[in-house]
Amino acid sequence: MIELRHLHRYFGDTRAVEDVSFLVRRGEVFGYIGPNGAGKTTSMRVLATLDLPTAGDALVDGFSVLNDPDRVRRRLGFMPDYYGTYSNVNVREYLDFFARAYQLRQRDRLDAVDRVMTFTGLDVLADKPTDGLSKGMKQRLCLGRSLIHDPAVLVLDEPAAGLDPRARIEVRRMIRTLADEGKAILISSHILTELAEVCDVVGIIERGQLLAVGSVEDIQQQSRRQRSTVEVRVLDDAAALGAWLAENADVSGLNVNSDSVRFIHAGDLQAEADLLRSMIEAGFRVVAFGSRQQTLEDVFMHVTEGLIQ
Amino acid sequence: MSTTADSARIDDLVAPQPASRWWAVVDGAMNWAGDRLNPILVKETRQALKSKQFTITFGLLLICGWVWSIVGVAWVGPNIWYTANGPTMFIGYYIILAFPLMVIVPFSAFRSIAGEQEDRTYELMSITALGPRQIVRGKLGSAVLQMLIYLSAISPCLAFTYMLRGIDFPTILFVLFYVVLGSLALSVVGLLLGTLTAEKHWQVVLSVLLIAGLLYANGCAIGLGIAMITEGRSVFTEPVFWQVNAAVVTAYVSYFVLLFYAAAAQLTFESDNRSTRLRATMLVQHALFTGWMAWVWISPLEGEPAMLIIYMIFIGLHWWAMGTFLTGESPELSPRVKRALPQSFLGRVFLTWFNPGPGTGYMLSIGSLSAVLVTVLIAVAAANAFDSPNLSEWEPSQSVQLLAFGLLGLSYVAAYLGIGLLMIRFLRKFTYVGVLMSVLIQILLVLMGVLVPLVIQGVSFSMRNSGYTLMQISNPVWTLIEMGEGRNLPADAPVLLLIVGAVALIVFLLNLSAVAREVRRVRIAKPRRVAEEDAQLEAIKHPPQPVRTSPWD
Repeated sequence: MIELRHLHRYFGDTRAVEDVSFLVRRGEVFGYIGPNGAGKTTSMRVLATLDLPTAGDALVDGFSVLNDPDRVRRRLGFMPDYYGTYSNVNVREYLDFFARAYQLRQRDRLDAVDRVMTFTGLDVLADKPTDGLSKGMKQRLCLGRSLIHDPAVLVLDEPAAGLDPRARIEVRRMIRTLADEGKAILISSHILTELAEVCDVVGIIERGQLLAVGSVEDIQQQSRRQRSTVEVRVLDDAAALGAWLAENADVSGLNVNSDSVRFIHAGDLQAEADLLRSMIEAGFRVVAFGSRQQTLEDVFMHVTEGLIQ
Repeated sequence: MSTTADSARIDDLVAPQPASRWWAVVDGAMNWAGDRLNPILVKETRQALKSKQFTITFGLLLICGWVWSIVGVAWVGPNIWYTANGPTMFIGYYIILAFPLMVIVPFSAFRSIAGEQEDRTYELMSITALGPRQIVRGKLGSAVLQMLIYLSAISPCLAFTYMLRGIDFPTILFVLFYVVLGSLALSVVGLLLGTLTAEKHWQVVLSVLLIAGLLYANGCAIGLGIAMITEGRSVFTEPVFWQVNAAVVTAYVSYFVLLFYAAAAQLTFESDNRSTRLRATMLVQHALFTGWMAWVWISPLEGEPAMLIIYMIFIGLHWWAMGTFLTGESPELSPRVKRALPQSFLGRVFLTWFNPGPGTGYMLSIGSLSAVLVTVLIAVAAANAFDSPNLSEWEPSQSVQLLAFGLLGLSYVAAYLGIGLLMIRFLRKFTYVGVLMSVLIQILLVLMGVLVPLVIQGVSFSMRNSGYTLMQISNPVWTLIEMGEGRNLPADAPVLLLIVGAVALIVFLLNLSAVAREVRRVRIAKPRRVAEEDAQLEAIKHPPQPVRTSPWD
């Protein structure tokens, strides 16, 4: 449903997006993660037909955003990272305007407005002016606006930003429901734990380049094959173990406590087992050796370098 | 437990009565019409009815109307029974009405679109199914609605002035007609300015310029309105008055359409065709002006040879101005535009010049100007052939002068636009050059051509008082005045024609390769996915008819 083909977008010397390609299938939620200024919003704006790529193309349901923006717009709902509300317009009128703008007529329009208000929980606020809504309610309104024409594809830029925990959970639930209805969803967020829960596939982008793409488990597996966070508890002096580990080239990020040592080990499970054996052979009395499963945040921190442009 | 008889009684009670059925039909019709209204008009009407700006303006309009009614009647006193005070009172109401119509409504139109750009709601609107022309139409519709509300608020006062005598119904209608036209034109200008930039500081600059322009226009409208109210009736019986008005209205319509399409083009997606409609409108303007000049030419009372010079000057300026924009277009065509290129031989010959691109724009400008020369020659030949009184004082040398003037004008336009186009093409190798930058380059080029020789001659002691010299050859204004003035050609006319013509020809040839590249482009096929969807939509629109298997089916 969504396909980015070698997408490039330059602003002068700044390469906001460079050769980004990925695919989002029907019913799939694709999490687009990266630090600020990584190129997430730029790629999303190109997909939403608000910007033109410098090179490459983006397709929505097989239609090019470059050459058939009108056909793309009918299929795409875009929720940007700003609200875009009007003054002197209430919730129902706001949604009614966008329903009209998508050429929904009479009964279809009224039904669409009611459906969206019910789905987003805005039905109780139908007559409230949009500029008087709370931040969370505005987010819901924006999500509702992007859903008003029942698009097959959704592009959501930071939909949970600034929301309280309950609202975040509700937004997450809505996104999952929409994906289960068969919509292809591209979502960006800084809250990686939430993305891990809702996304089928994630793409990590930094300085305009896509560094990793795959399911959350795949990326975690790939990352674990190379590096893992290990915690060792010993009966003896943990400082001695720390000193011993410091001489190992595969060990980094040492953190020594009174009875335990935590470190990052570069290597697969076999290498971890070898390290444990060496540790015992060196005379350390190990009571616990645990390799912690990496979270999406660990993967993100590992894959990206925190560089901004 | 209810019985069948009970249900029938309930149905009778619930069944719509004839009156309510009639209302249901009206309600349905209103719903149907409301559904087809421009969404922006609906939204902006809802917003306007709740906005402070509208309430304040409407309230002030009413208060001013009442105050003037009371003050005006008190000022006239008992004489109101004996003297015709309609015009005096009308002028007061007209001044009150002109301000919201000529200033508030156009400025609201500007702010409406500029505000949407600032708040980024424009982006959200632009990715709906609304097209750019629908957006501009919606904003204009909203302006028209405001005008109608203000007009309706002041209309009882205007009716009152009619009862005071001294002003007739046609004058009232005529003045209101023009002030509404003025308001509409200024609103479309406001919309165009609102689309030019999304950057706040430029919007502030444009706001200031627009307000200054609107206040000036308001002053002009008041002046013209007062002149019309005081002198109007005397000219209503003159046929020339109505002919001039018809010409003004057609020119108005053509420029209104041009500004409308320009505003829509500003909002059009970059890969779409922004140019063809504008070019067609420019050509219609050319045709309209030619039509009106032909009307004047064949009218025995009005036609004079000087009209042909005026015609050439106006059309020359028109195509130079339009050429400054057209030569700034991007030389690249998107695949979307290429899908709609003319395909047939005749289509390619006649319609290629309407395709976007600086080369085709350059050719359209100078091609249309060449057509002007032919038109003038036909006009003179026709007048000669029919022994028209237009040429009663015409000397044969004047035909040569006319032709020389036209050729020189054409050469100047071809040379300046062509040099500008070469410069733009050169600059584009290093940096991005947009349409506005191109217009600036073209204007600066002509300004340099005019000012540099003027300054040199002005500071030179030997040449200061020598009048027109060949040094001014790059100055099209002075040179054309020299060529068009008087009954005889200037002595250096052949030299002027030769040099300017040669420069124009060289510049034209230098641009020819780029023009040829644009002309050689051919239509490309639709992508498969687009063709599939078009076929699906076509099948829904025109479902296949059942095949008759026998004559009795």
